[in-house]
Amino acid sequence: MGGPSWLAWTFASVVLVVAAYCLTRLLASWRQRRPSDRRVDGIHVLMGVAMAGMLVPRLRVFWTGGWEVVFGIGTLWFAWLAIREFRGRPTAGGRPGHHLQHVLACGAMLYMFLAADTVAKARGSAMSGMAAGAAHLPTLALVLAFALFGYVIWTADRLSSLAPVAALAARVAPAPLFAEASAGGRASFAAAGGAGGHGTPGDDGQTAAAHAQRVPLSPRLAACCEIAMGVTMGYALILML
Amino acid sequence: MASQAADARARAGWLPGWRRSIGAAGEESWTVPDVRRRLQLVLAGIWLLDGVLQFQAFMFSKGFSQLLGATAAGNPAVIANPINWSAKIIADHPTATNAIFALIQVALGLGIAWRPARKLALGASVVWALAVWWLGEGLGGVLNGAASPVNGAPGAVIIYALLAVLLWPGRQDRAAPFIAGRFTGANVARVLWLVLWGSLAYLALLPATRAPKALGGMVAGMASGEPGWLFSLDDHLGAFLTSNGPAMSVVLAIVLALVAVSVFLPWPAARAGVVLAIAAAAFLWLAEGLGGLLAGGATDPNSGPLLALLALAFWPLASAAWSAAGQPKPAAATQSATSEGA
Repeated sequence: MGGPSWLAWTFASVVLVVAAYCLTRLLASWRQRRPSDRRVDGIHVLMGVAMAGMLVPRLRVFWTGGWEVVFGIGTLWFAWLAIREFRGRPTAGGRPGHHLQHVLACGAMLYMFLAADTVAKARGSAMSGMAAGAAHLPTLALVLAFALFGYVIWTADRLSSLAPVAALAARVAPAPLFAEASAGGRASFAAAGGAGGHGTPGDDGQTAAAHAQRVPLSPRLAACCEIAMGVTMGYALILML
Repeated sequence: MASQAADARARAGWLPGWRRSIGAAGEESWTVPDVRRRLQLVLAGIWLLDGVLQFQAFMFSKGFSQLLGATAAGNPAVIANPINWSAKIIADHPTATNAIFALIQVALGLGIAWRPARKLALGASVVWALAVWWLGEGLGGVLNGAASPVNGAPGAVIIYALLAVLLWPGRQDRAAPFIAGRFTGANVARVLWLVLWGSLAYLALLPATRAPKALGGMVAGMASGEPGWLFSLDDHLGAFLTSNGPAMSVVLAIVLALVAVSVFLPWPAARAGVVLAIAAAAFLWLAEGLGGLLAGGATDPNSGPLLALLALAFWPLASAAWSAAGQPKPAAATQSATSEGA
């Protein structure tokens, strides 16, 4: 049971746009030293590319079995992070249980690749995207879809409470930066683009630069990426029923 | 205030340094959803599921419009003609119409979940659900004699509308011993519950359910295309109901009637009635083959989960509140309830 090709292309485009945006977040976070959950951005890049290839076979970029390894490792990694969260150790990403969402998403990707391979082998032919139809353990696909939709709704509920970048920028006041710098935090200035060592409280340009460097990348757009990924992944799982 | 400040400090302490600004500290005004908001979120999730199910390949085919057109059969002309008219439009433009339907339902789900849009989305969901109930489900078959609690009557989608009304986040809550009564008031909510479950009990006694082999045939028919465990379950249940159909339909009607009147009974009986309602919803959902979700081609999860969600909205909160229903709610309590994001 595959969807219309234009629909598959539409969903593939959505996840590719998300992947491209998350790639720019990774680059911006790295180049400008702006806070962002790089692990989540990174996994979104991988998921976007993988799902696009799953929905539209012409967009496949990986060898057979490669994605299973990637998402198997991803599942274990995020599971470890989630366990650390529950034990009270800090990880980037903030909310308790935040990484469970990514455990689930990586697990769903792993399931889809394994199930698709099983169906393709059973049919003795290469799978045409998601068109191979019903997978083994369809009940698991439905349960995963339910859980993903639950997380999508949970994320959407929190969306309006996430601060916009402008508010975060206003909150990241310059004064604590200098306090931090004078207390031995100059390394962050130096790494942030040459302000270290030369930075003085009266230097407006450097102040602005340092200020900008501390403003996180948009948490709202990151949440929107999770919503888009969750809906598309749920769609792919529903196609496997 | 002190506890809020402690909570904020605890949150801020969750992450060191700049990492605070990514997640927890970025959440400024998020409040933990209260019970009503949680029920709204479940409703949102079901709408989202509906929307994604609508993206399945079958929905873009002529088969979908034929499915809709078939619901006109047996209905009075005033009901059937608009159904045929809409089915023809969908048959002529299957791709565009179905894509719009799917997007609307996804938007309803996300809209209910997104707090600034929840009222708009809940209101739109009522309009959409009523339209689908008529044009897509033929009023759930209640007028053509085909309706049975086991085939989803009186129509899953009408329960979406009912839930949207009962879970409406009004500006000022009324005192009610259950969540569903906060907007409409306890008595109106109880009457709506009585009408719904009472109609289910009545439908269980109609020939569509009570006739020999009717109930068993319906359940066994749901087994087709299901995975092994569900096929086996529905097959066995169908065989049992085929040999005991008329008696079981009476038992089902009695159970549904007990559920219908339970919310008018004293607190312990009301609580038992709601538990019975959840059990009945679970039974109906299994008999419905989980709405055909696992067989592919389902447009929604059918009535089972919605009946269970409705039952949760009628869960008696406390015996004192139950007996004090109808009394004005203290202003402080009302303010607290509305500030919880409901």
